[in-house]
Amino acid sequence: MRVVIAEDNLLLREGLVALLREREIEVVAQAEDGEGLLRIVGGHKPDLAIVDVRLPPTFTDEGIRAAVEARKRHPEMGVLILSQYVEPVYTAELLAGGEGGVGYLLKERVGDIPAFLDAIRRVADGGTALDREVVAELVGERRAEAESPIDALSPREREVLSLMAEGRTNNAIAEQLVVTSGAVEKHVSSIFGKLNLSAAGDDHRRVLAVLAFLRATDGG
Amino acid sequence: MNAISEAGFGERFVGLARRAGLDLAYLSIGGVTAVIAFCVWVTALSVTLSLIVFIIGLPLYLLSVIAFRWTAELDRRNAALLRGRPLRATYKDHKGESFLARLGSTSRDVQTWKDLGWLVVHSVLGFTFAVVAVSLVASVVAFLTMPLWFWSIPGGVDWGLWNIDNLPLALLATVPAFPLAALTYYIDRWMAMGELWLAERLLEGEEAPVDGAPAGSGPNIPLSSDSLRRMIPAGELSLAVHAAISGLIGIFVTVIWLAAGAGYYWPAWVWLALIIPLSLHLGLREAVRNHPDRRGLAILATVSLVITGVTIAVWGLTGFGTFWPIWTILGLIVLFVVVLLVQLAWRQLYGDERERELTERVETLTETRRGALDVQAAELRRIERDLHDGAQARLVALSMQLGRAEEGLADRPEIAALVRQARAEATAANAELRDLARGIAPPVLTDRGLAAAVEALGTRAPIPVTVEAAELSRRPAPVVESAAYFVVAESLTNVAKHAPGAAAAVVLRLDDEVLDVTIADDGPGGADVTAGSGLDGLRRRVAALDGEMRIVSPADGGTRIEVRLPCGW
Repeated sequence: MRVVIAEDNLLLREGLVALLREREIEVVAQAEDGEGLLRIVGGHKPDLAIVDVRLPPTFTDEGIRAAVEARKRHPEMGVLILSQYVEPVYTAELLAGGEGGVGYLLKERVGDIPAFLDAIRRVADGGTALDREVVAELVGERRAEAESPIDALSPREREVLSLMAEGRTNNAIAEQLVVTSGAVEKHVSSIFGKLNLSAAGDDHRRVLAVLAFLRATDGG
Repeated sequence: MNAISEAGFGERFVGLARRAGLDLAYLSIGGVTAVIAFCVWVTALSVTLSLIVFIIGLPLYLLSVIAFRWTAELDRRNAALLRGRPLRATYKDHKGESFLARLGSTSRDVQTWKDLGWLVVHSVLGFTFAVVAVSLVASVVAFLTMPLWFWSIPGGVDWGLWNIDNLPLALLATVPAFPLAALTYYIDRWMAMGELWLAERLLEGEEAPVDGAPAGSGPNIPLSSDSLRRMIPAGELSLAVHAAISGLIGIFVTVIWLAAGAGYYWPAWVWLALIIPLSLHLGLREAVRNHPDRRGLAILATVSLVITGVTIAVWGLTGFGTFWPIWTILGLIVLFVVVLLVQLAWRQLYGDERERELTERVETLTETRRGALDVQAAELRRIERDLHDGAQARLVALSMQLGRAEEGLADRPEIAALVRQARAEATAANAELRDLARGIAPPVLTDRGLAAAVEALGTRAPIPVTVEAAELSRRPAPVVESAAYFVVAESLTNVAKHAPGAAAAVVLRLDDEVLDVTIADDGPGGADVTAGSGLDGLRRRVAALDGEMRIVSPADGGTRIEVRLPCGW
């Protein structure tokens, strides 16, 4: 797997590179700002870009803007955002352009190396990996809007959908909720039904369900 | 600045009149008790001493002692006029003592001897003071009312220099009444103080309670003559001394005049010479108390009045010839008018300097306050950024390294567990820093502006929130944005806390001058807007930006918080 990294903090960038190289993930290029990201993405055509939200020169949301632009140019590339903040707005913006291959993790998740590597692989394969805190904020405290199909979901189905948004497989979800994987499959197909996602392959439907869920939170 | 100079002229006049009245009453009553005291001690001493050789003298001695005590008691009561409560003294308790024992104990009672001392001194001093006080007041009244009664004296009132036998002269004669009244006031004041001082020394018992009188038990004036500063306010002490010295000199000179066989009342010139500096002293002190803008004119007017009075007095003392002082008076009037016109014209041209200064000051203050707030907002963002790039980044790196260490410790599970725990701590620390940073300067507000940040707040809130923020065409200043953001955040938190079932609507509107923020909910209403609540803190935050905050929360339901923040800067 070929990865590029955009991160202005030297300490973190070096740490990430070392971590990924140990796991035989090839870091083909590094950038320190948004423009640099666009340049190396254009030059190296990586499978995945790992991007910090705050980059020079403005130190605001440069990373998000650059990532959205990069995905517009290279829709097949996955983007994993690393941030210090739980900001669903950014996640929604990122997902609005494409169909998966998107992740948003709090930076400290990097410490849980197996989970982090798992998220990297999933996003590079076109799946999603949303931080559980982001998801919790979206699901647990979401406002009820009558028109949103999400509101038709039962509490259990929402739980399952949150875990799907985090990028878990059915087996992982079953383990987490202490139910059989058959029960999880039932919930999942019920979710697809309620969200009118009957066609397409299962993986793609999972992404679409998460997208529907995120769009419903983005101001309706 | 003392209390006197802050009171209005009317109040001060009433205060002075009241004090003068009390002084006069105290001194007059003192005069009566002085006569009684004189009779008592002269009679008692002469009778007792002459009869002491006989047995009959001994009971008379005891009778005299009782008379002394009773007479002294009159003056103790009188002191209440000035100090609010009477003086107190205790004598030896003679109950149950035999006649002879009583003779002994009485003669050893210090207070009784002090009483006698008082009676002797007071019979002279009190009487003199009373006569002086009453004559001074009578003279003031006489001069003041001269136009009413001068005609009843056949041949006119003969007042030393001249004979007052017509109305204009009688009216003129009322003029000296005013300086004389001032003199009288201060002379009476000093005599009363002196007498009271002596009374306290001689008539008050050693063990008498100190200032124990309940408030409002008597006239509301200072209690003790011990501190003259309290009786005569600091600013008036110099004037009082001045007046008293002048008065004593005048009286002294008049006495010399009387002793020299009266005749031409030449002391009038001395009086004039004494009164000129005194009236200048008094007048200038009043003039200086004026508002700075009018102070110059007031001083000019005072000096003019004194000069006018002096010239008229000189004219009168030199026998009323042609009224030449009219030229002086005319000159002074012209001068006053010219100065007044120049001052008015100056103000017309250059505006009220004080007002301009104040305006400038307000502008400076507004600017600097705004500057301080901007600096503070920038500082908060810098702190947030420092947290992000510093402590938080290091914690992330720490997590990462701990994660790698954990990986390498697969064969030492007990140590790996320790490392995992350490990583969890680092993660928790990072989460705390994240919450802190959000409370200081929410990143989404900095990055995306108010509308996005408020929408994020709405999404995050545990209650349904609709946000209408379409018209935010530009970004207000950071400090305004941040105030508006925290108003919305705090309000939504309040709604969620006090009305969990309610729905809320946030409306943001921005025009050229004002950012309007409205947060309305359909909860039960009756919000607590008293000091100390979170809303009060927001109100102050808004007020610091010259904004307004209105909270409508009727008890029958619904709360509406409206905030207007000026952002024309």
